Amino acid sequence: MPWLKGKRILVVEDEALIAVMVEDMLMDMGSDVVGPAATIEAALALARAEAIDAAILDVNVRGERIDPVADALMARGVPVLFATGYGEVKLASGATATVIDKPYTQEKLARGLALAMGVVLAGRHGG
Amino acid sequence: MLSAALDAITEGLGCERGSILLFDTAGVMRFVAWRGLSDRYRTTLEGHTPWEPGTVDPPPIYVSDIEDSAETDEVKQVIRAEAIRALAFIPITSQGKVIGKFMAYHREPHDYSEGAKALALTIARQLGFSLERAQAEQERLAALRDLQESEQRFRLMAENAPVMIWMCDAEGRCLHLNQMLRHFWGVEEAEIGTFDWRSSMHPADVEHVMGQMGAALARQDRVTVTGRYRNAKGDYRILETVAHPRFGADGNFMGLTGVNTDVTERRQAEAQRELLLAELNHRVKNTLAVVQGLAHQTFQSTDTKARRAFEGRLQALATAHDLLTRSNWESTSLRQLASGTLQLGQGSGARIRAEGPDIRLDPRAALSLALALHELFTNTLKYGALSNDTGRVMLGWSWDREARKLRILWREEGGPPVTAPTHRGFGSMLLERTLARDLEGRVEMRFAAQGVTCLIEMPINEFGERSCPG
Repeated sequence: MPWLKGKRILVVEDEALIAVMVEDMLMDMGSDVVGPAATIEAALALARAEAIDAAILDVNVRGERIDPVADALMARGVPVLFATGYGEVKLASGATATVIDKPYTQEKLARGLALAMGVVLAGRHGG
Repeated sequence: MLSAALDAITEGLGCERGSILLFDTAGVMRFVAWRGLSDRYRTTLEGHTPWEPGTVDPPPIYVSDIEDSAETDEVKQVIRAEAIRALAFIPITSQGKVIGKFMAYHREPHDYSEGAKALALTIARQLGFSLERAQAEQERLAALRDLQESEQRFRLMAENAPVMIWMCDAEGRCLHLNQMLRHFWGVEEAEIGTFDWRSSMHPADVEHVMGQMGAALARQDRVTVTGRYRNAKGDYRILETVAHPRFGADGNFMGLTGVNTDVTERRQAEAQRELLLAELNHRVKNTLAVVQGLAHQTFQSTDTKARRAFEGRLQALATAHDLLTRSNWESTSLRQLASGTLQLGQGSGARIRAEGPDIRLDPRAALSLALALHELFTNTLKYGALSNDTGRVMLGWSWDREARKLRILWREEGGPPVTAPTHRGFGSMLLERTLARDLEGRVEMRFAAQGVTCLIEMPINEFGERSCPG
């Protein structure tokens, strides 16, 4: 994924096994991973301080909603991709959200990031 | 009335004795009034009549001397014993048909003058009219009583029914509230005329409910509308109203009659269930993601191909879960399942043509079929019709009404020449062994040179639910 090469992607995910897998997927595509953060607090700190090109956010982090993190990122103009098992995401702020369903493959993750970052992908991708 | 008639008969025909007889409901001619007749005479000759009930306008019969008549000796003897020689039989009719007769009896043989005969007919006519009127009046009173009883019965039923019943006029003004609805709003019967139910409505629902009710009144049509209303205790309850228009005998619109059902608990339970299902689905899918993470670690350096295949299968399972959650785990449509699993219309999925009727699948069938379709899809991407740029796949399904079976046919064409696989991979195993067992059906894979075909057959009933659950 040349367009993901060197991009700094924030990962917020409270499930360690999933976090490791996302990390591997992103590194496989050439990105630098910011985090992963497993709490809202840690995620907020990263969201405010780090240079970030895009973020993949779990919607429910240890029982807390992700909204403050999403708001902080969006305020900075950082594209956000939500990963959830709920099927859809309704943000308190009413902002529209780009969502991928859990579980997801590396291809699905790449497509979701492209959508969130406004990158037009070419070629066929079958699976 | 009958006594006055007897006066007229005896006076008009110049005799001392007379009688009036009417057919009873069983069609037997019975004495209803008489003068100067013995009990024996009446009981013996009751039912004796020259006419059948309903005979049309029969002529009167005048017997000047019973000894000269054609009556049987038995009858003659009874009449003789009553000291009667001459008799007149005058039919009484109603709407042209005989309903009875009156009789005049003379002690001596008697010639009936034309004047007397004319008078007898006049009396009979008057008597017929009077009886007709009396009958009609009786029927009217009986109908009225029936109506009152029926109204009372329905009023009681409506009043005590365990649902809320109301009536309004053509302008929507309240006319009637039954006991349960009066209790709900805390309204006394005397206050119904001035009660404005609109004041109890939740402000946010006013526009919707009033709009619907107003439209129903304007269209003079039925309406179903749900809204929140404050009850006498001050709590908001969700009432579902079903109202029907009421029309008068002349066809005039009289207003609406409605039934309100308190659906508060039902709605809460539904919302709760949806929330629980969404939460459960979230957890299931999160767990699938964790399983995927485990596989990711397990296969990491050893076998990327195996990892990918596994991830794909997990995806197919998750997609089916999603579809089932959206339908509250009742059923899902085969078309949606195919669309979600095969990514119809996107990328290589655009080269799959899916055709078939709308069929609902139960959760078990949906999960199995999702995995099966996924296997067929990945196989064709790797080796089959979708592995080149020109191949296509036809996916068709039909429901065989007689055999009560769903038949799904996957047919590939335009791909590279097919060679039968030398070993059975997980995909084939999944299709031919587990799917067939899971669905109590039949799976038949054919590796023809021009393209792979796969026929899946499973029992399913008319409404798209499988006939043998479990």
